[in-house]
Amino acid sequence: MTRPPQGGQAGPPALPEDVAGWHRLHPLSPLVRAGRHLVTIGVLVLGLLFANQNQAGGDLVVDLVIVAAVLIAGVVSWLVTRWQVADGVLRIETGLIRRDSRRFPLSQVQAIDVVQTGLARVLGLAELRLRTAGDSAGGRLACLRLPDAERLRERLLSMAGASAAATAGGPAPATAAVGPDRPGPVPGGAPEPERLLFRVDSARLAGAIVLSRAGAVAAIVIAAMASVVALTGQPGTIAPFLPVGFGIVLAVWRQFNGEYGTVVATAPDGLRLRSGLVQTTAETIRPGRVQAVRLVEPLAWRVFGWCRLEVDVAGPRQRRENRAESQRLRALIPVGSRPDAEHMIGELLGTRRQPSRRAPRRAAWKAPLLYRFLAWDLDDRHVAATRGRVCRKTTWVPLEKVQSIRWVQGPVQRRLGLATVRLDVAGKRVSASIQDRDAAEAGAIMATLPDLTRDARTVRRLRRGPAVSGLASES
Amino acid sequence: MAVAEPGRTAGTVDAGIRWQRPSPRLLLARRIQVGLVTGPAAIGGGLVAGVAGSAALGLGIGLALLVTGLLWERFLARRVAAWGYAERSDDLMVRRGVLIRRQSVIPYGRMQFIDVTAGPVERSLGLATVRMHTAAAASDARIPGLEQAEAAKLRDQLAALGEARAAGL
Repeated sequence: MTRPPQGGQAGPPALPEDVAGWHRLHPLSPLVRAGRHLVTIGVLVLGLLFANQNQAGGDLVVDLVIVAAVLIAGVVSWLVTRWQVADGVLRIETGLIRRDSRRFPLSQVQAIDVVQTGLARVLGLAELRLRTAGDSAGGRLACLRLPDAERLRERLLSMAGASAAATAGGPAPATAAVGPDRPGPVPGGAPEPERLLFRVDSARLAGAIVLSRAGAVAAIVIAAMASVVALTGQPGTIAPFLPVGFGIVLAVWRQFNGEYGTVVATAPDGLRLRSGLVQTTAETIRPGRVQAVRLVEPLAWRVFGWCRLEVDVAGPRQRRENRAESQRLRALIPVGSRPDAEHMIGELLGTRRQPSRRAPRRAAWKAPLLYRFLAWDLDDRHVAATRGRVCRKTTWVPLEKVQSIRWVQGPVQRRLGLATVRLDVAGKRVSASIQDRDAAEAGAIMATLPDLTRDARTVRRLRRGPAVSGLASES
Repeated sequence: MAVAEPGRTAGTVDAGIRWQRPSPRLLLARRIQVGLVTGPAAIGGGLVAGVAGSAALGLGIGLALLVTGLLWERFLARRVAAWGYAERSDDLMVRRGVLIRRQSVIPYGRMQFIDVTAGPVERSLGLATVRMHTAAAASDARIPGLEQAEAAKLRDQLAALGEARAAGL
């Protein structure tokens, strides 16, 4: 799809018929959506059969009824769901009794993911997820045919870029969202060129997960169960704990499944992430939507020189089926070497600077474990801060993304003449903490940082181009 | 509204900022709130202990609870005095806390929405709390105990400033 060079002042460029009209989802989507529940129910049924073989018959009927109900509900939900893209807005209507019509202005979209669950993959379907800022869940289109989903994502992203540039106004033409040094979208919806930034090493990922906290817990639980069985000789004794063990193993598996084969590439429409073993996910993080970057180095990983690089994107992770996921950030590098991470940070932020201003010595009295890592630094576009007791965490926050600045001084800090400054970014997961600085320094930070963030915001508003993309293109 | 600041040493960050203070009636409101909690607690605790144990025990526990309430009240004055806010050209500063001191800077352009709330005690005294929300959940900008007229004025003022300086995410 070619974009008019003068910028779509009358909304997004003209759309082909096939997007502007109302559409249904793929007819097989109820099956895919119910698939998750079916797996759960299947496990339950097996568990019940295993637990009480005698009266399994009655339960089986009940379960079949539940399965049928789930499927019928899915079909009805499919029948009443339709979607449309018009005037730069994606509309999804659903609901049989309580009609629910939701509008997603594409200029507000933070990222678009294509997710394939295992069953969807077998059927060649995929789910499209829109992420918007704020606490409400984003839009889901489940399911479309995979090629359709990918084409739609590309189209939505290019429209989003166009409408964002149009609403931003100013002299910037729509193509500025793409950047002068990058090729624009190729006409005809052909795949756009992308540059590979990182590919995860599978063996290292497996090792890293075993060495992570979740992996260690799982290993201990499995070992404990195995030894109990071996010692008592009765497998029945651990039966009550099986669900717990199952849950822990499942969590580890999810992490491996989610991060397996992570590939990160830059493209004109943003940063593209693909990952997954059974359930594959393809995400596009739009330029300038990265709120913070975090480098995590757990103790066990530091021995091997491994680290994990995460980005925070505004908006919730709307995976209701696994809550644990929503607490974590998106890993650009699930596990990689320091040079990998530094290269990626350079790409993301245009800086490779590590925090170098250490905390004053007396901070060790207040935070003996924390002290060795405490540091911060500032350049003209970012603040970087390191903290962590065992696991070293370094956070980079672009100045233009800072939502508020807090200065905190507890009683012990007051005694020692220290203070902490925190920078909050959108969301609840990350804040850069410039911890335990000399009180005078903290005061100076507090006096200068608000002006610096204001200038960063102003600059950003003036040139809503690639400079704000978070993908350093001009530096 | 220059008021002496008890319990606050020459702050490192305070220099050159004109702090606005909540209404003096905030202290009264807080006292009433503490009284509403500790009064019934002391009477109830005393009665229960008096019935279950001896009268002396009941009296003792009731008095102990009352003394706790009074100590709490002593602390209240300093906490109320610690509240302050300053409208600067581009951002709002809010400070609070005695033991743990906090100062927040919230740029006007970052405000997502503004709440004005008033609980029953606050309402009966004609007070209200103004609270600013940003996209960050951790942002902490609350100004309690404003006169209701002043709260409404502040709300409108902040909303206008936020509108003028709005920045995207």
